[in-house]
Amino acid sequence: MTRIFVLAEHRLQKLRDATWEALEAGRKLAADLGGELNCILLTDNAAGMADELAKECPKVLVVEDPKFETFNSDSAMKALAAILSDKAPFMLVMGNSNSMMDLAPGLAVALDAALATDCFAFEVKDGRPAAFRQMYNYKVNAKVSFKGAEKIVVTLRGGAFPFSSGGGAAGAVEKIASPVADEAPRKRFLNYVEAEKGDVDIASADIIVSLGRGIGDEPDMEIFESLADAMGGVLACSRPIVDKNLLPKYHQVGTSGVEVKPKVYLALGISGAFQHVGGIKGAPLIVAVNKDAKAPIFRVAQYGIVGDLNEVVPALEEKIKDLKG
Amino acid sequence: MDIIVCVKWVPDTSEADLAIAGGAKDIKKDDLDHDINDWDRFAVEEAVQIKEKVGGKVTVVSVAPEDAEEMLRESLARGADEAFHLWDDAFEGSDGYAVATILAKFIKDRPFDLILTGTLADDDCSGQVGGMLAAMLGVPNAVLVSSIEFLDRKVKFKKELEGGLYEAVEMDLPAQLSVATGLNEPRFVSIRAVRKVASAEIPVIDCGELGLDESQVGPQGSKIQVEEVAMPPEGEGAEIIGGGAEEAAGRLAEILKEKGGIG
Repeated sequence: MTRIFVLAEHRLQKLRDATWEALEAGRKLAADLGGELNCILLTDNAAGMADELAKECPKVLVVEDPKFETFNSDSAMKALAAILSDKAPFMLVMGNSNSMMDLAPGLAVALDAALATDCFAFEVKDGRPAAFRQMYNYKVNAKVSFKGAEKIVVTLRGGAFPFSSGGGAAGAVEKIASPVADEAPRKRFLNYVEAEKGDVDIASADIIVSLGRGIGDEPDMEIFESLADAMGGVLACSRPIVDKNLLPKYHQVGTSGVEVKPKVYLALGISGAFQHVGGIKGAPLIVAVNKDAKAPIFRVAQYGIVGDLNEVVPALEEKIKDLKG
Repeated sequence: MDIIVCVKWVPDTSEADLAIAGGAKDIKKDDLDHDINDWDRFAVEEAVQIKEKVGGKVTVVSVAPEDAEEMLRESLARGADEAFHLWDDAFEGSDGYAVATILAKFIKDRPFDLILTGTLADDDCSGQVGGMLAAMLGVPNAVLVSSIEFLDRKVKFKKELEGGLYEAVEMDLPAQLSVATGLNEPRFVSIRAVRKVASAEIPVIDCGELGLDESQVGPQGSKIQVEEVAMPPEGEGAEIIGGGAEEAAGRLAEILKEKGGIG
């Protein structure tokens, strides 16, 4: 019986969405693998959070230690290694959040477990799980097996396992003494830092002209500014544009940037990796121009043009000006 | 500050038209350009900038096939002091765990204060090697690091969280940090810098010289295995507006106007 452990994630005394998504994935895996479902909560103060989890999970294992007020991968790795070392066969499920990305690889080594990161689906055949994830700039899907490992760690693609409440009787909450009570962490949280705010707030814009890697290494930014002006919109971008200092960070759309909810989103030279698309909320009209006909952005866009931006963008500006009269 | 930078040689798939290879275990890579993984380029630059500020030595290392020598030489031209090329046919097909095993074996007996690498590789998108390597060497780690400063035997850094939020973190040295893209501006490599390192020796070290058994590397030493790859299903997808740039732009302008995309 493969036991399923779901690692809860919290910030500022509140469980994060990734926790519930991991619980959703864990539930399905527990059903497919015929094992017990447990949730693990590492926190300084379990009040509220443990009960909230117990409503959805048959058993919640709680470690209370002041070190876990904020996420600390160093202490978490040691605590989880101690808790899970004698629990094989098991699968540990957690979000692929920026915090958990610190934890999962080292933990897999500490547990001598097989690790698949950023999984968007699972399949169980003959009692053996396989994971689906993406490779090659997120353009290719891959099915990955764990070579029969008895200890498996998986992290989940954000949004891939939407949570639905299970109902049923409340589960048990079991407190475990902190395995790291006497250990000084080698890593210490200091404070949160908010991103710099700029003169443009793309989060509240209705019309967004967004630029991606496909605009090239030395783009003529004026043609894009001019198009955004003609449309009455603002410029936004994906990560590579910020990395090249073509636009400041507060223009970046995506899970690590700003979440936007425009009426119209015009994506120019944006491939459409999930981190970017994850930042476009609601159901806006997404229109994409890209020279790569296979760019993932065309799967989420309603309209697209496969072509050269240097030709399409000035032509589009002209046509828009004509329509405005 | 002695810094070891681990870099990866990857196919450039960002703009390329990809196709699945026969057997469906991988994509066709022969026609793709290869280069240093974009994230790792920032790691090399960061290491060189730290050295320029506080002194020390920068060592660049890669587990990569023969062609990757040019990446290591370019790293020297960027300012690294030495480069090591770890390769053996037995390394082919290594997953993140096996690659970390090889790197850990190479690094184990070398003095270092900091190991830098990129957070993700553009080919497998796994983000495993940095954290695994840190655990194998028994040092703390973090990923998505977007700025680094040094205090006495400690490193203070900013790490990217979601939604534009960062956290400031302090960590004991030695440590392993995986950097985010954009934490610096990788320098332009001059022809003069390239010439200067043209004859620098880049030792190639194989499985035996590292003291590894072939069962620890390649598919045998891997913890996971890619069973099948496929292009994602097309789904509904966008309605592609055909015609030349002029015609398509005209049609798109009308759609935008109709949907409120012209304010």
